[in-house]
Amino acid sequence: MSGPAVSAEGLAAAYGDVRVLEQVSFSAEPGQSVCVLGPNGGGKTTLFRVLLGELEPLAGGVEVSGRPAYMAQTERTRLDFPVTALDVAVMGALARGRWWLPPSREERAAARAALERVGLGTEADVRFGELSGGQRQRALLARALVQDAPVLLLDEPLSGVDPASAALIGGVFDELRAEGRALLVASHDVESARSFDLVLCVNRRQVAFGPPAATLHRATLEATYGHELIVLDGQSAVTVQHHGHGH
Amino acid sequence: MPSPIDLAELPFLREALFELALLSISGGVLGAWVVLRRLAFFSHAAGSATFPGLVLADASGISPTIAGVAVALGYAGGVERAGRSRHDHGEGTALLLVAALAGGVILASDVFESGAVVDRLLFGTLLGLDATDLAVSGAVAAIAACAALALGRTWAAVGFDPDGASALGLRSDRADLLLLALVAVAAVAAIPAVGVLLVTAIYVLPAAAARLLTRSIRGLVGVALALGLAEGLLGLYLAYWLDVPPGPPIAVLGALVCLATAVLTRGRPA
Amino acid sequence: MEVVDFLLDPLRSGIDRRALLELALVGSLCGALGFWVLTERLAYGAESLAHGLLPGLVLAALAGVPLLLGAVGGALAAAVLIALAASDPRTGPDAGTAVAVTGLVGLGALLALAPDSPQRLEELLFGDPLGVSDGDLAAGVALVVVGGALLAALHRPLAAMAFDPAGAAAAGLRPALVRLALLVLLAAAVAVAVQGLGALLVLAVLIAPPVAVRAHARTPAQAMMGGAAVAVLAALVGMEVSFHAHSAAGASVALALCAAAGLGAALRPSRRGARRGARPRSLPPAQASPGRRPGAA
Repeated sequence: MSGPAVSAEGLAAAYGDVRVLEQVSFSAEPGQSVCVLGPNGGGKTTLFRVLLGELEPLAGGVEVSGRPAYMAQTERTRLDFPVTALDVAVMGALARGRWWLPPSREERAAARAALERVGLGTEADVRFGELSGGQRQRALLARALVQDAPVLLLDEPLSGVDPASAALIGGVFDELRAEGRALLVASHDVESARSFDLVLCVNRRQVAFGPPAATLHRATLEATYGHELIVLDGQSAVTVQHHGHGH
Repeated sequence: MPSPIDLAELPFLREALFELALLSISGGVLGAWVVLRRLAFFSHAAGSATFPGLVLADASGISPTIAGVAVALGYAGGVERAGRSRHDHGEGTALLLVAALAGGVILASDVFESGAVVDRLLFGTLLGLDATDLAVSGAVAAIAACAALALGRTWAAVGFDPDGASALGLRSDRADLLLLALVAVAAVAAIPAVGVLLVTAIYVLPAAAARLLTRSIRGLVGVALALGLAEGLLGLYLAYWLDVPPGPPIAVLGALVCLATAVLTRGRPA
Repeated sequence: MEVVDFLLDPLRSGIDRRALLELALVGSLCGALGFWVLTERLAYGAESLAHGLLPGLVLAALAGVPLLLGAVGGALAAAVLIALAASDPRTGPDAGTAVAVTGLVGLGALLALAPDSPQRLEELLFGDPLGVSDGDLAAGVALVVVGGALLAALHRPLAAMAFDPAGAAAAGLRPALVRLALLVLLAAAVAVAVQGLGALLVLAVLIAPPVAVRAHARTPAQAMMGGAAVAVLAALVGMEVSFHAHSAAGASVALALCAAAGLGAALRPSRRGARRGARPRSLPPAQASPGRRPGAA
């Protein structure tokens, strides 16, 4: 595969007359991981929407290899739906077409393998709503794995997740990169961004894009987070999250 | 007490028997999705909204069921177009339904002076079921079964996680439109048997009880079908015995079954 | 003048005068109360309550006691059953409410149609303004007096709660108690109004007036006064139509109410063209504009 796995050029997006994203330009090669930092309402989810093809850009364009896999936050899923972890993982196979047929043996096997990979092998038949928060995130990750996509978009995959699950998920991320897939991870955690290949800071417009060393400066972070930023001992920074302002 | 055998031997009751059996198939298949996708109010509204149209059709000789299906499709399309979620029980819908019921009863009682029609349309009829009704119910059952087989995975994915389903490339809006249209048409198909006000006795009550008893979607369909069949047959017998339309006894049975299962499964995780 | 005579004809008949009086009394209170029903999103609950009290009405008719007693008892029983059914998390409120209401309506119909002398089910469902009794008129007056006093007393707490529930609680109001009082008044209003409009149509007198004035009123007080006026006017129009066209009285009034709502909503002044410019506070639905698929590499 030649060329970047995912890229944007001069991207702008809006809902109706309200512009929510401007001048976004970045690119990621296969095997690279990008951390998308920004405050709530700053356009991270909008960017994902454009990459998924759900929102037409107002200006500029995006290029994505294949159909990206999307791992949403579990708050947006219904916990009372009678589906098991395996059922959820198998949903990933719907992306490959033939949605009108029941899951084939291969699809079920792929789903079980994905569950094993995220450490839910023994929980395959547990109802999704009965899993813990971290387990639910891992089940949604398994769904993304089954989809077998070259690009994965992950919306705050580690928020509210216990440390054991977080470590497991991080391990899977490394494996995915080694397989040559590109990962875009929207996150609130400035510290974790340092372990990514690239960082993209957005706050309604692109503030910075580049390797962590070049982008995670105080000036950039202040421009991204504004007054939501708290800086500790001059080096590490902590962001203050404001929940409930919409995404 | 009349003999239950009468249900199978008397011709008009036999037709009612078949009708309820066919409806229990749709009730199981679609009812599962009505409960899972929170379409209970929508199914009730689809039934009620067709009331004036049915009165008109009845008076002018057009087959009411055909006319009802046309209105139901229009209603489903309107709801989907309005984008206003069918879960949002807006005031506009509530007033629309009141207007439909009021308009229907004026048409029936005062314009066409066919007062008996009102009771029949509101609560169903034991004797008046004919071949057209059976044909429509049969068609709905067949289409519902096929649609559920083909679209079940999509409906589940959309119900579980609408954003994720969209990202998987599923045409959730089309799949949902089809579901709404099916539920609306199925509601109309049940009107001859149970009446405009009680279509939920077919499409919600058995599935709601089943929801408490099973933990998978497939189980939900099966149990809802079985319960719907049992309630329909027993309700039919009661209607024959007490000389009332079938709708009320089936509804009361369905509600009692729900109550019993709720009490018996109290504390069990869903 | 012929037109005046035409319009006054209904009022010459004692029966119609009483019917109109009852509808005006009930309508004025319900039209005002309806504003809070809308604000507190109680429309669906009110409708479920109205349908669910049918067995109470039928039992009262069978036992020969005043319908009002049956309505009150039926409303209480329905409220409890519906609340219980809707609270089961496994089925959800949508299905749960449907189970309770369908069962109750079915029970009401069964009780009405099974006995050898079937009760006048149609009047219980669609109303019977012309059959208003002295007791009903007394109930109407009581509703207006007591209900009106309650609404006046609760006006400021209700407004504060509607604007900012958390702030109201912090300021010392007890939102739970205020809401309870509102619910009790709602149940009483439904029970009294159901005689004239029937279980299936009574919702109109609560919801149509506030919907009609929603876009035109600037304050809650205006909405309540306007709602009361609309309700009374619609009752008058409905009774006129019923008298001259010989149509069912309750249904005619209900249609007039719905027409008023439609008219009021359609005549909405379009000052607020700023809908598009408003910043969306939550994500638009996922299928906002699917657009073309991004190019594959």
